[in-house]
Amino acid sequence: MRTVFSQYAWLAPLFPLAAFVVLTELNRSLKRTGAFIAIVASLASLALSLLIAFERIGTGAEDYSGGFAWLTIGSVTLSAGFEVTNLTALMLVIVSLVAFLVNLYSLGYMRDDERKSVFYAYLSLFACSMLGLVLADNLLLLYIGWELVGVCSFLLIGFWFHKPEARAAAKKAFIVTRVGDLGLLIAILLLFRYMPGHALDFVSLHNVFDSQAGVISTSITTAIALLLFLGAVGKSGQFPLHVWLPDAMEGPTPVSALIHAATMVAAGVFLVARTYDIFEASAVALDTVAYIGAFTALLAATAALKQNDIKRVLAYSTVSQLGYMMLALGSGSWTAAVFHLFTHAFFKALLFLGAGNVIHALHTQDLRQMGGLGRRMKTTAWTFGAGVLALSGVPPLAGFWSKDAVLAAAFERHPLLFAAGIVTACFTALYMARLFILAFWGRPRGDAALAARAKEAPAVMTAPLLVLAALSVAAGFVQTPFGSWLGAWLSGEAIPEQAESVPVMAASAAAGLLGLYLGWLLYGKGAPKGGGAGQTRPWPWLVRLIEREYYLNEAYGYLFVKPLQGLGRALRLFDGAVVGGAGRLAAGAVQALGRLNSRLLSGQLQTYGLAAVIAAVVLMLAIAGRRF
Amino acid sequence: MPDNVPILSFIVLIPLAGALMLLLLPKDRGRLARISAIVFTGLSLLFAVWLYADYQPAFGGAKYEERAAWLSIPLNLEAGLRDQGVVSYRLAFDYHLGVDGISLPLVLLTGAVSLMAALGSVHIRKRRKAYYALLLLLQTGMYGVFLARDAGLFFIFFELTLIPMFFLIGIWGDYGREKAANRFLVYNGLGSAVMLLAFLLLVATLGFRADETADGTILTYSGNYDVMLANLSDPNAAANAGGALSFTGGLKWSVFVLLLVAFGIKVPIFPLHAWMLRVHAEAPPPVVMIHAGVLLKMGVYGLIRFAGFLLPAQLEAAAPAIAALGVINVLYGAILACVQKEFKLVLAYSSISHMGIVLLGLASLSEIGFAGALFQSVSHGLISALLFLVVGSLQERTGTTRLTELGGLARSLPFTSGILLTAGLAALGLPGLSGFVGELLAFLGLFATMRWPTVLGVLGVLLAAVYVLRSVLAIAYGPLPARFAGLKEARFTEALPMVALTGLIVLLGVYPSLLTDLMEHGFAGLLRELQTRAGG
Repeated sequence: MRTVFSQYAWLAPLFPLAAFVVLTELNRSLKRTGAFIAIVASLASLALSLLIAFERIGTGAEDYSGGFAWLTIGSVTLSAGFEVTNLTALMLVIVSLVAFLVNLYSLGYMRDDERKSVFYAYLSLFACSMLGLVLADNLLLLYIGWELVGVCSFLLIGFWFHKPEARAAAKKAFIVTRVGDLGLLIAILLLFRYMPGHALDFVSLHNVFDSQAGVISTSITTAIALLLFLGAVGKSGQFPLHVWLPDAMEGPTPVSALIHAATMVAAGVFLVARTYDIFEASAVALDTVAYIGAFTALLAATAALKQNDIKRVLAYSTVSQLGYMMLALGSGSWTAAVFHLFTHAFFKALLFLGAGNVIHALHTQDLRQMGGLGRRMKTTAWTFGAGVLALSGVPPLAGFWSKDAVLAAAFERHPLLFAAGIVTACFTALYMARLFILAFWGRPRGDAALAARAKEAPAVMTAPLLVLAALSVAAGFVQTPFGSWLGAWLSGEAIPEQAESVPVMAASAAAGLLGLYLGWLLYGKGAPKGGGAGQTRPWPWLVRLIEREYYLNEAYGYLFVKPLQGLGRALRLFDGAVVGGAGRLAAGAVQALGRLNSRLLSGQLQTYGLAAVIAAVVLMLAIAGRRF
Repeated sequence: MPDNVPILSFIVLIPLAGALMLLLLPKDRGRLARISAIVFTGLSLLFAVWLYADYQPAFGGAKYEERAAWLSIPLNLEAGLRDQGVVSYRLAFDYHLGVDGISLPLVLLTGAVSLMAALGSVHIRKRRKAYYALLLLLQTGMYGVFLARDAGLFFIFFELTLIPMFFLIGIWGDYGREKAANRFLVYNGLGSAVMLLAFLLLVATLGFRADETADGTILTYSGNYDVMLANLSDPNAAANAGGALSFTGGLKWSVFVLLLVAFGIKVPIFPLHAWMLRVHAEAPPPVVMIHAGVLLKMGVYGLIRFAGFLLPAQLEAAAPAIAALGVINVLYGAILACVQKEFKLVLAYSSISHMGIVLLGLASLSEIGFAGALFQSVSHGLISALLFLVVGSLQERTGTTRLTELGGLARSLPFTSGILLTAGLAALGLPGLSGFVGELLAFLGLFATMRWPTVLGVLGVLLAAVYVLRSVLAIAYGPLPARFAGLKEARFTEALPMVALTGLIVLLGVYPSLLTDLMEHGFAGLLRELQTRAGG
């Protein structure tokens, strides 16, 4: 089937880029209208993405690609181009839809911020980079987008730059993800070295790793896959590089929804899915992905249990859900991973934006200061509830189907992976129940005056919630064990009905419901007043371990930061004493010589140039005249 | 424009003419001095841009050769020689300018950075006439270095940059200016002495030529670069040279090491960098723009032009050592940049780190790596110029560039802070800005032959993120100290060069072909040599 709109896909990132340029150039004169420029641009991207996706629905649509030579040196050409496949079309819709909704939402959330147009400029640059990353037809261009979304994330985390915490969090996010980025860069160097014709485009990668086994040796393939995964680990907040993501919550909440929940952090999953042939060629790499994913899912889910900052709970939840996606990738089902990415984008964005409404109303992010908001913020509470159920995997909401697909893949791979997935599902429901109950049920625990004045957010902030809630409820039906439309569309292969996975479904649903029930028992029904301060702690050391997030930040401090500082100080002494000392010695010698010289020639440093020229002539004569 | 315009000479001599004209101005006309300096600088840049527009990589620079016999010193013509039909025996200095794919990017860099530095000198109030005259003289030296096609002329221009720099540091610098100027001169003077020795050896060997004329043979020693190249590729050159020194292995290595030391001081290569730290910290910021932006690149250019093209076998054999030096530069500079408390020193060590990447590109011995080295040189020139432009603005307003005393300036100086952040991101190699392209090309080139040095170099990119963010965020982010609340944002004259440099950095980052296309045939000769070696 021929496609019409796909050939214009390159316009999708250009709309927000234009908005970014206009907003940056005319920053001062656009206090009011800036936001509208960004919103119109994101709407244009969304419209184009939808057109592209709709015309590709149904199987058999050809992939479309186009591009140009970016840089030619000798026989090597680095090209820049875009490619539209069903996967990229789906990502285009996810990214541009969430971006549009967040742009709209920010109209309310950032209304009183004096740097609103800067905020919208950053958001637009992010949308441009993310859409570029998605559309890139080769790894180098993807890397460029990858770095640019990273820097937008950095800028937006540090948007309230006067707060020292925001500054620290922005710095941490950039540096920790850059550790992963280096993996990606080295993977690109390896591919450039070993791929026939230095090709870096995904079509060639597919051809070489899928069908021409042996062109690149297994050990190199494994190295490439692991390094690509290192990139994904950094970006998608997988253990051990996930530490930046909870801190990234210092950014404005719409940013957390867009970048740190729905889109950018999923880029790692997208990267692995896009280069899946390389991973399939290496069993070691697939296992690594699966076990890191499962471990991250479990670790982050436990950490989320004891967080008191509403956004930190959601951040750990994101880490955990990204772990699920990695688990699916490592278990051999990239379509399940992309499916979970798809549903997660909606319900997690919904949860963040809902949390944003709460924060907007109460001016606090501390769950212990909340409570009883359900009555005052009905739309927020209902939509948030839908998000909680979707994330907890309650049938038939979206999260249930996608989580089920992940667990079914894990079940086929290894019982251990499946067990980790099920336990995580239970914890997920538990911490979401806790969060929902602490925020929306019971009585207000914080500032009474503020709680009394708390009211529902304006329509511009609730409308996006309604859209996302609808999607969180319904989006899962695109792929069920009984009809796997999305998977077939993405992979281009018919997928048989998987009725045998009904036990997995039952287990997953049971785990979710059990978690919700436990949550209600612990925090709803049986919770003491005051938010659980008087609770007995069964294993105090374990609770403290979880509360302190497994002391990972401290460990990094001792393992990397302190040694680097120590090395730096040692080198500083060396540089001053040895290198500088040698310089002083040379200077002293020359000055001594100069004093001698000045007696001979009465010359000064100023005549140095002339002296050098004369010396040149004399020496040349001496050497040339050596013959006699 | 007609073809017979001596465009290269215009580029080199216009600033000199400007400097002479400034000397005629009365002392108190500082503003007029500034304006004329900007005009002359701009005029030179205009010719450089014209050269860029007119230049065709496929033909190289043959079209623009400009030469004139300058100085001819007769040597002792012995009876024995006369009997062999030799009618003249001499040592010749030629005024010989030329351009190719390696020098043209650096000429453009010189023009751009010089103009921005002249514009950015708005805070210089002391003895402006002398200041701008020296700035113009410095430009003649820099253009000359990149355009000279004669070793003697190259040397003279190289020396010509030292004198104005010495005064610019010594008179207009900070508290430690005299010591810094002194150290600058000592190191670079030693470098020049070593370079002179190397050049003399080159003249005495490769510079010898016998021309048969109707009257008889003319024997000439000269620093003519083309003669050197021709002798190098001519297997009979040694025989033709008669009794002159023959250019053999041991001598070649001596010359190579001497050149490495001479230009290594300028680059600077660890451990020859102590002088440039002081210059970064003490010289006035616009002068550092030129120092970090262009002068360091003279070292790179010298290495390529003389150590590379004239001694390809030695370059090839020394490639692992150069890669090792590059790695040391990258990591040593980066780690030290992470612990500095003075922003200017962060930038100084950052320069060391970035110049290490140039060395890595050179060590790759491949076209893509060479292109990376040259691209990185230009890119680093623009980025460090922009950073020191901002440093100048900040220092003028806050009176300090110590990281612990600054903070939160994004509130009172949003524009300047935004530029600082952009420059910082460029320095840490963000794609879309020029720094990334140079690093990428150097890494791509080196990785084919030396895997682990490349990986270590990539590690430097991570450290770059650490030291850039640490220092830039310390200045721009965080709470704003009360004493900085009322700072005035950059004026138009300050903002203009900032925007221009940022634009260039973005342009080269997005569309690097603008520069790489120029280099297309620049390295052809060297690559051919390296290939025949690999083949033979």
